[in-house]
Amino acid sequence: MNKILIVEDDRTLCEELSILLENAGYLVSTIADFNDVFLQMKEADVDLILLDINLPGENGEVLLQKYRKDSDTPIIMLTSRTDDIDEVLSMSYGADDYITKPYNPTILLLRISAVLKRSVKKGQTQMYNDVQVSFVSGSIMRNGMEQILTKNEMIIFGLLLDHKGEIVSRDDMMTVLWDNDEYLNDNALSVNISRLRTKLSELGIGDAIETRKKQGYLLK
Amino acid sequence: MNFWDYIKDRIIIYIMKTTAIVISIIFLSAFNVKSQAIIVVTNILVVTVLMSELWEYFRKRDFYIRLNNSLAELDKKYLLPELVNYPEFYEGKIMVNALRECDKSMAENVAEYRRQNKEFREYIEMWVHEAKIPVASLRLMCHNNQDVGRKMTGQIKRIDDYIESVLYYARSENPELDYVIKEVSLKKIFGSVAVRNREALQILDAAIETDGLDINVLTDGKWIEFIIGQLMANSIKYCSPDRKLFLRAWADNNDKGVIFHFRDNGKGILKEDIPYIFEKSFTGHNGRENKSSTGMGLFIVSNLCERLGHRIDVVSEYGKYTEIQIVFGKNDFYKMS
Repeated sequence: MNKILIVEDDRTLCEELSILLENAGYLVSTIADFNDVFLQMKEADVDLILLDINLPGENGEVLLQKYRKDSDTPIIMLTSRTDDIDEVLSMSYGADDYITKPYNPTILLLRISAVLKRSVKKGQTQMYNDVQVSFVSGSIMRNGMEQILTKNEMIIFGLLLDHKGEIVSRDDMMTVLWDNDEYLNDNALSVNISRLRTKLSELGIGDAIETRKKQGYLLK
Repeated sequence: MNFWDYIKDRIIIYIMKTTAIVISIIFLSAFNVKSQAIIVVTNILVVTVLMSELWEYFRKRDFYIRLNNSLAELDKKYLLPELVNYPEFYEGKIMVNALRECDKSMAENVAEYRRQNKEFREYIEMWVHEAKIPVASLRLMCHNNQDVGRKMTGQIKRIDDYIESVLYYARSENPELDYVIKEVSLKKIFGSVAVRNREALQILDAAIETDGLDINVLTDGKWIEFIIGQLMANSIKYCSPDRKLFLRAWADNNDKGVIFHFRDNGKGILKEDIPYIFEKSFTGHNGRENKSSTGMGLFIVSNLCERLGHRIDVVSEYGKYTEIQIVFGKNDFYKMS
């Protein structure tokens, strides 16, 4: 399980972020005392840091610069500032990503998991039980049989696979699809899911995706 | 300086001087002075008066002609005191002194307003950043408590949009420039605008089609995101009730630059309204139908475009469609720096 440190001085925002990340299955630690943030960042043994830019005392960009000198733990900058200057600066100081408030929660989670994956360097193929999922060729294979998935189907299947055993809401699916420049409407999403099911049943696993009424879908 | 006006202005002096000469002649003849002597004295007096008047006229004329010419040539008339030199005559010196004094006081006054304006703008910027923190908390709360949150998300998005528009209004109205011009992908910008408006678009069951957006333009990423966001917000606001909203965004690339097109199938804009839609507080026909129109959105958009050096055009047919075109010039960046 990945550990995340949140460096954010607004108490409410920090609490809600913790809840969001814990619900998504991360171990979360936060900072309560803002006198020696840098020391706490250095001592924390985590996989990723969410760092606010506007902090009492030293600001996030200074902290980032100092921290990057001897550590390459991924850092995502969070900020309410809306100019490109901060973004350019942060990225040049070695931030892995930069997200402006108020962030879309689903996209925040996506970015976090993208940064974590990047740092682990996972391969381009993944296994789902005995099905081989290849993101490069956009196909799934089982017992020597292959099914080609469209881009949309692949995005949906990948998302379900990332959250195997958990419910993924239609809303989250939409956010992810739209984030990949696939602007589907409600009907089109249903069509894509049923096509994906058909392709899975060709491989003999037609019951892999379960529908939870009013909640979403679940990959068993 | 008109010669006859000058003479008219001094007519009293001439009358007095002439009277003095005439009285002198009468007195001289009364004392039996020889007529030759009277003629000589009269001549001396007349010539002196004429010479002094001409001298007076010409020294003033030079100064005032230069003053009027400077005034006519200046496009910023208030800079006149900087151009005026001290003349040789006394009244002129008093006037120039007064002008310079006025100028100084005016400059101080303007500086004071500028400072206030700057402070206000800084306050707005800070306020916006502060206000975004609770909005961020609210969004997360909605996500963490899905059943209550679902209804609120839309409203929170509206609050966020209004906050954003205050920020960009403050920015677009101020001469201080704080943008970063770099290569920005239109596809990425359009994507993030679409994601931000996804809920509203899905409620309308809108369809979106994009084409050729995989292209980089030179602009400020945050500003252009706001601009396209405003265009999309307008399409959502003024969609036609009798057909499903259909948005099309595409880009043309020619040797002059990149043209970004954004077209909807909404209400469209009346022909007589089109010339005014980028003007401040103009709401037009559609605005009268929709109470929440402020007339600010497109005004801010066109202001920002001007700042960034992009041209913005609109093509529309009432009841059919509205298409906004933004032209990203190829060399604008170099011209500006």
